[in-house]
Amino acid sequence: MDFSFNEEQRAWQMKARKFADEVLRPASLERDRIADPAKTIDWEIIKKGSKLGFRTAVVPKEWGGHGIDFVTQALVMAELARGDSAMSKAFSQCWKWSHLISQVCTQDQKERFLKPFLADDTFVLGKGITEPSGGSDNRLPPDDPKAGVKLRAERQGDEWILNGEKTFIANGNVGKLFFLDARTDPNAPLRNAVTLFLVPKDTPGFHVGKVFNKNGWRFYQNGEMIFENARVPHANVIGEVNGAYAKSTGDSSGDLFGDLELAANALGVCDAACEQSINLARTATQGGKLLKEQQIVQLKINRMCALTEALRSFVLRVAYEHDQRAHSANAGLVMNLSTDIIQEVAELNADIHDSAGIMDENADKLVRDAFIWSHLAGDAVQRMRVSRRVLK
Amino acid sequence: MYSLHLSAEQLEFRDMIRDFVSQEVKPAAIKSERLEPFEQPLMTGQLDQASQMGLRTMALSEGNGGSGADALTSCIVAEELAVGDVDIAAVLAETSALSHILFDKLMSPEQRERFLPAFTSDDRCHLAYAGREPETDTRIGIGYHQKRTAGGVATKAKRASNGDWVVNGVKSGVVNAPVAKLFIVSAEADVDGKSGTYLFVVPVGVPSLIVRALPQAKRTHHGTAGDVTFSDCHIPAGNLLKGGTALLEATRLHDMAINLGIGRAAYEAALEYAGIRVQGGKRIIEHQATAIRLADIAISLDVTRNTVWRAAYASDHPDAVSDRSLPDMPLATMARAYTATAIYRAAKDAAELFGAMGVMRDMPLQKYIHDAFICLRSGDGNADAKLRIAETLAGYRPA
Repeated sequence: MDFSFNEEQRAWQMKARKFADEVLRPASLERDRIADPAKTIDWEIIKKGSKLGFRTAVVPKEWGGHGIDFVTQALVMAELARGDSAMSKAFSQCWKWSHLISQVCTQDQKERFLKPFLADDTFVLGKGITEPSGGSDNRLPPDDPKAGVKLRAERQGDEWILNGEKTFIANGNVGKLFFLDARTDPNAPLRNAVTLFLVPKDTPGFHVGKVFNKNGWRFYQNGEMIFENARVPHANVIGEVNGAYAKSTGDSSGDLFGDLELAANALGVCDAACEQSINLARTATQGGKLLKEQQIVQLKINRMCALTEALRSFVLRVAYEHDQRAHSANAGLVMNLSTDIIQEVAELNADIHDSAGIMDENADKLVRDAFIWSHLAGDAVQRMRVSRRVLK
Repeated sequence: MYSLHLSAEQLEFRDMIRDFVSQEVKPAAIKSERLEPFEQPLMTGQLDQASQMGLRTMALSEGNGGSGADALTSCIVAEELAVGDVDIAAVLAETSALSHILFDKLMSPEQRERFLPAFTSDDRCHLAYAGREPETDTRIGIGYHQKRTAGGVATKAKRASNGDWVVNGVKSGVVNAPVAKLFIVSAEADVDGKSGTYLFVVPVGVPSLIVRALPQAKRTHHGTAGDVTFSDCHIPAGNLLKGGTALLEATRLHDMAINLGIGRAAYEAALEYAGIRVQGGKRIIEHQATAIRLADIAISLDVTRNTVWRAAYASDHPDAVSDRSLPDMPLATMARAYTATAIYRAAKDAAELFGAMGVMRDMPLQKYIHDAFICLRSGDGNADAKLRIAETLAGYRPA
């Protein structure tokens, strides 16, 4: 076993740490406080990060990206999340889908979509899965053909006509290109009925609906996507017609990365929480003594650090396994577990602040950000999806 | 006999408040703009209605114009109100509890004559106890199981040449301050040659009494709160109250009932949604994964209610402790520590069933989590409540 990072991994980690310290953290609370959910994003931050390579980090080198490995990806996501969890996600969301472009798109699609993505610092990506009538049904598809994706795509010559809506879509209101699940067979169960389309923002018939007002991850916007006779060329179909669900399993899956992504991001939030608590325990006083003198504070900090270090080990192990192409249920398991860990650590941090009678906006923000994991990473459906893999 | 049979009157009262909450309070409280975690104006119309129903003066004795509600009845009412709106519940519960302490216990008949009619006849007359000061640290913390010197108060009351009291000082985080028309104020004074902490009643409107409302983000209590400054505030000699601060500083059981009401709101929303939302080919309540969540939440609420009601019963019936029906333990503080943790967990579990809707600011679930989080850190926080319990169990501090 060798736990050391190579020079490239170390360099990316340091670059991310510096960017998080100098750019993300100073802007974190200010963006979080903005009441209008459509105004929380700061494109200057996206541009600065993009110029440092954080937007395009996983695009293969031959296409002009940086082609960083999974271990580096985990390190970078955690460092960025230490500065601001939602900002880290705004960058890594682009990785999630540039994985997909580079691995399953045709040469022509890469020319048409990967190149503009690489050239434009504000080009961010999104994927539309969830609809008002189906969230869990798209994660754990039942056999009933009526369940899951309803957004309909019908072929007309060389085009597909899309009708329907997507809800709770990350970057839905700011993305320039979307990967969209649409139903191309109304009578088959979901796994044989859905096609994945590349849908640019300026597609006629597509517009953005409401921007959702999340209580955490404020910087990372989330919107509603509405399709009214939207026209998408057949050349934008990814993989086979009715094959979206077949494509999204195995090595090329965005989910494989997505599971690691949430766990690595959680790790960064835990690091931020530990750092806050340790600093506070060393400097704040209660009853005339430093907080660190108190046994109850010592026990809480022990728990926070133990959980954080256990998560770090698991995250890096999964990243290493991904780099070895040794895939297992571990990525899903670490994602599920990261929900419990990020919430406990963030809540203990708030609790330690209480012991000093300090109301801290930063500590409260971590608690709100951490709750996002409940529906993305740690709800019963996400846990059963992983168990299915363990038990198959 | 230790019994939790509710009287016909208590049950009727509860039903009446349930109707009021579902018809008048909840529909207004659940409007999306009220759910955002920013400053929300108190729903004064509903507060007035509640006052007309007698909920503002509920704990005040019947002889003084109230209903003489005991601690258990007050908890039942606070829970029901909090299911609808936590801030209304908190404002009413505080005024009601203080009305009993102030008019039934701290005032002389002469003082009652001066202050009681205005209080009972004005639906907007709320009460506040201005005790805590910016430098006050009531936490046990590092001082656990060690001798503590009771810190005096920095606010001073001095005699003017005409016999008036002149009050100077700053009180912070005073619950109900922005809506209070009468303050009970603690101050250091010399009364008949004996110096110590005394209580005074100060009506709002006396010159140099300034109330500054605390922004919601700085509050650790539901309802409303503010800082109060007294600069050479002249009050009549007759505003000195009898008795000390102990009654005013005791754990407020109704706060736990309010916390329980937050959990109820989350539970009721989850139960309703689970019966409507269809995923995996059936209503989510028919899935095992939802079943165990709902069961956990229901267990949690029921155990919490028992803990709170038992503490209330003990407070209403000291003989239940002396005859060994109930344990001689700090039941109220134990209820506080248990309730805060259990309800926060229950609110999070309920929200999880709503998927992404559970984190949206225009939906109620995130507000319930936020409201439960405020209860978790209210007062001196949960960790300190446990230290307080342990000091009593160890025989170091009286229950």
